[in-house]
Amino acid sequence: MRSIEVISYILTVAPAFMAYYLASLGQGFFEKSGVLNLAIDGVFVLGIAVGYAAGVYSGNPWVGLLAAMAAAVLFGMMLAYVTTKFPISHGAAGLSIMFLGYGLAGLIGVTARSTYNRLVASGIYPQYTLPTSPTARILMFVIPVLVGILFYLIETRTKLGAAIRAVGENPHAATALGVDVIKIRLIAALIGYSLIGAGSMGFLTWIATWSEGAGVNHGWIAYAISLAAGRHPILTIGTAGAFAALATYMFALQAAYNLSPEIAKMIPFIVAIGAMVAFMATPLRKKLAPPLSLGKRFFKEERTV
Amino acid sequence: MTESKAYNSNFSLKINTPIVSVKNISKRFPGAVALDNVNFDILEGEVHALLGENGAGKSTLVKILYGIYSPDKGEIYVRGRRVRINSPKDAIKHGIVMVSQIPQIIDRLTVAENIILGLEKYGLTSRISEVRDFIKVKSKEVGIAVDPDIEVWKLSYTQKQLVEILRALLIGARILLLDEAITFLPLIEKRKFYKFIRNFVDEGGSVVLITHKIYEAMDIADRITVLRQGRVVGTVRRDEVSPDDVRKMMFAEKSAQITYERLPTSKPRDVVALEIRDLWVMGDYGVHAVKGVNLTVKAGEVVGIAGIAGNGQKELIQAVIGLRKVEKGNIMLYSEDVTNKGVAKIRVKGVGYIPDQPARFGVSLDNNIEENLAMLPAITRRIIKWGAVRELARKLINEFNILTPSSKAPVKLLSGGNIMKVLVSRELFVAKRLLVAYNPTRTLDEVTAIMVRKIIKEKAAKDGVGVLIASEDLDEIFQIADTIAVMNSGKIVGTFPGDKANRDEVERLMVM
Amino acid sequence: MVLVKRIKPLPLGGILIPLLSIVIGILISTIILYVIVGASPIITLSCVVSSLISPEIVLTFLFLTILGVALLVAFSGSIWNIGAEGQLWLGTAAAAYVALFTTLPQAPIVAKIVMVLLAMVLGGAWAAVAGILRAYLNIDEVPVTLIMNYIAYYVINYLVRGPWLGKETWGYIRTDMIPDQVKFVLIPGSTTITYEVLILAVLTIALTYFMLKYTALGLRIRILGSNPDALKAAGVNVRALIITALAISGAIAGAMGAAQLAGYLHRISYPIESHTANYGYTAILVAWLSMLDIRAIPIAAYIVSALYQAGISMQIAGVSGASATYVFIGTVLLTFTVLRVFSEYTIKIVRR
Repeated sequence: MRSIEVISYILTVAPAFMAYYLASLGQGFFEKSGVLNLAIDGVFVLGIAVGYAAGVYSGNPWVGLLAAMAAAVLFGMMLAYVTTKFPISHGAAGLSIMFLGYGLAGLIGVTARSTYNRLVASGIYPQYTLPTSPTARILMFVIPVLVGILFYLIETRTKLGAAIRAVGENPHAATALGVDVIKIRLIAALIGYSLIGAGSMGFLTWIATWSEGAGVNHGWIAYAISLAAGRHPILTIGTAGAFAALATYMFALQAAYNLSPEIAKMIPFIVAIGAMVAFMATPLRKKLAPPLSLGKRFFKEERTV
Repeated sequence: MTESKAYNSNFSLKINTPIVSVKNISKRFPGAVALDNVNFDILEGEVHALLGENGAGKSTLVKILYGIYSPDKGEIYVRGRRVRINSPKDAIKHGIVMVSQIPQIIDRLTVAENIILGLEKYGLTSRISEVRDFIKVKSKEVGIAVDPDIEVWKLSYTQKQLVEILRALLIGARILLLDEAITFLPLIEKRKFYKFIRNFVDEGGSVVLITHKIYEAMDIADRITVLRQGRVVGTVRRDEVSPDDVRKMMFAEKSAQITYERLPTSKPRDVVALEIRDLWVMGDYGVHAVKGVNLTVKAGEVVGIAGIAGNGQKELIQAVIGLRKVEKGNIMLYSEDVTNKGVAKIRVKGVGYIPDQPARFGVSLDNNIEENLAMLPAITRRIIKWGAVRELARKLINEFNILTPSSKAPVKLLSGGNIMKVLVSRELFVAKRLLVAYNPTRTLDEVTAIMVRKIIKEKAAKDGVGVLIASEDLDEIFQIADTIAVMNSGKIVGTFPGDKANRDEVERLMVM
Repeated sequence: MVLVKRIKPLPLGGILIPLLSIVIGILISTIILYVIVGASPIITLSCVVSSLISPEIVLTFLFLTILGVALLVAFSGSIWNIGAEGQLWLGTAAAAYVALFTTLPQAPIVAKIVMVLLAMVLGGAWAAVAGILRAYLNIDEVPVTLIMNYIAYYVINYLVRGPWLGKETWGYIRTDMIPDQVKFVLIPGSTTITYEVLILAVLTIALTYFMLKYTALGLRIRILGSNPDALKAAGVNVRALIITALAISGAIAGAMGAAQLAGYLHRISYPIESHTANYGYTAILVAWLSMLDIRAIPIAAYIVSALYQAGISMQIAGVSGASATYVFIGTVLLTFTVLRVFSEYTIKIVRR
């Protein structure tokens, strides 16, 4: 195999990488603040539908990107708000937003599609594909990776990063240290979910058009990618790249190595569980174990007996 | 108390306006009044002790000052101006900083990261490195050497408390609230803090020292405010009162019942209930916490282990009951080897256990008395016979005079003392042969604590049960133990008959 | 305003809060459906009301009752099993294996019993994996059980596309029909309800009620939710308890999976993720709405199955896709999750 072929194989993975990496980066960043984020799949699906619809109505896919990010941020901040203001189950709140996301996505997408079909008939309609030139593809790797490095620096080097980790580890102690827990979690949701929204729009450019159920389960793949990398922005580049390649070449792998697509689909999830075990059972836990208070109810007025 | 003089300043009430005033503060918790119309002033340049027994409301008061709890009623004034303290952030703005008994700094963050969180002048986008040099310079100034880049989990308890103090200073504390922050430090370490506290107030700062130990208040405070059952009993100047006066304020009419007199020595039977041979047990941090302990408890004898917290008592007790793995050595229960047999197997052989923090480890607060009985493998195997359990519950309620609406009321509705009675009565019922206890009265008010000790002692004397008690409260050990064993750094460093033990000698061995 | 914990739960909160949440949730859904797709509120509400008395919901009701009980067992111990979906589908696969690839169907009664038992074993074992990880490594069971749902889907997809692919499928990717004699027996007059599913539902409730109320195991699972440390000190093997609670939960879900195959589906079609009714997720709402009181499970299952049906009938009315069901479930669940706080907490107005 010539190197030019290898490069072209790699470049083909770019759209999937961009979509998965941005979403899982946002996922990890948000969960660092201690909110268990089970809303991701629903919001990811919703982001795709909203991005699609906004593109259809405005005629500009970039408006779609902004709308997808805004919709994702809205639901992400809602999750952060209710789980921090009230001592409620993060899992139940996240899953209910997931359901809502699925439902709204279907309603919005189906409505937009009839408009879209009319536009197609008239000849002027928004295109949800990104350029396929090598330069464009390289940028689809480079830009997300730069964002990832920026996120790594924010997490490890700034007060905001310290505050996010503090509220994820122990929101009560963080409060005593002078951190406003709700503010920090809302900021984490704002930043994290805008990436998830951007990732969902990236996903739309990968699949090029919307159909009912578009993106379902792909939010969970982003979730698995983030878990498998212990929510570490730099390690996530590796897991996102690997799983994006797996998704892109699923059927090619079947042809070449007789690897069933079902097995290929399973791999990210099995790796995620394996990684969780590794991060809890080995010395890796010092760096990669989940935030101590992830998913724990937060209740300020608690009486310590 | 001879040491103490050095730390008391010749404090005079030079400035009359209080820096912080608390007016008419009330706070209710579900089922209990924690604070009732409390008035309290903190003056500039004083160490003010807030003294009271467990449950008197001291912690609630300082948590209100630090914005963790909200008062139901009342006002707070800082330098004469009414302020609203809704969060620790607000408190910090007014120069009020709290340091608690349990370090409230975050393990997986570095010292610098923990400190920058409270520094208002650094915005969220500031880099951690900006604060590093500031910490280094300042920490030299105060004489607390600490590496700003070390992650907190690598520090010892004392070091963590020092970091908390350093943090308080760096974020500009003028009023330092020490909530039992030094109560559990060894004596030598405590003195470092005393010196430091004195320097801080000499430079115009104020310290509120929350404690339940009279001697701690007498050691260092300029003024003492005593709280009892959520009310202020009074505020006195330390140089005008004796420890006994303070004791009367703390306990009022009950102070007569509070006696640390030895309970009568029981007559041990000639049977060995528990024999510990060359026991080695690992601590939480991968080093041995118990290093070759030998100990014998006879049936009917109460053996008390004295020692400062963290010298291996917890690990020893947990190993005996089967909650912690024994690395080496043997535990013999009536000549039967039960080493590493596990809690269930050991407990069903007639071993009762009163753990530290009974509300967490002893009973399940959301469940009722019957359920708290039935949960024990020693009482229920598979199918629960609710009829029999109910009968047992009624019997224990009567015998121990437990105040409860019914045997079906969740235990959390009961007072702390009655919750303890539920636990003690259950464990004494189970303890047909041996009772193991760790700080059994730590969270109780003094009257109930003494009652619990009497009950345990009677059980030993009457039923010939062997009792092993570890306690960080030396008064407790001297009151109850027939034999006192002193534990230090994982070893038993001295054993004395209870009636002949010399307190000074025991204390010397504890801190040696 | 601050939240203050109540000593006793809100009186009647167990009834008022779920009902209020359902009403608010339906109203919000109605508004959403009106705003986005212009669905007339009258149509939406009449779909909901007519679903409450629709005979169509009985099968869903029975399945959700069984699954609700399954989740209740785990939830009682504060073990958040959200993997019922995977556990039940593995149960379906286990039952299909017995029905299609063994000689047992020659003895139909034995076959049916073995189908259910093997389904329970497999569902239970699948859930126990999450239990082991939680008990020994303290790994949160929520992501694990969730992720394992997808692994279960793909395992079964693999089987159905590969070794289990049927011979008479007319081009569809699916297994063969299970033999007629192991299909559950329809109640006269119904096209979906079978005797066996009814019996299974009743047995599940009765046995679980007994387990939770009259056995040490049940009591300890309930205490596990509020105070695992006390159990440890009392001498209870908490690790085994966590694993057992999850295994029981998964086993019940597995049994429902067998019932779904023998009582209704009769074959497995590829891919699962497009053919599943998502009962495993919907049941979370059932267990949650019951406020963890087993006696309320059938009521919660009834209401949720009506909401489920309402979405489907809106689809038939041409108003929207199956999305309506998700909107109903999402809004009711979210409203309830938040309102539930007021069963245990009360709001105190603080003037500062």
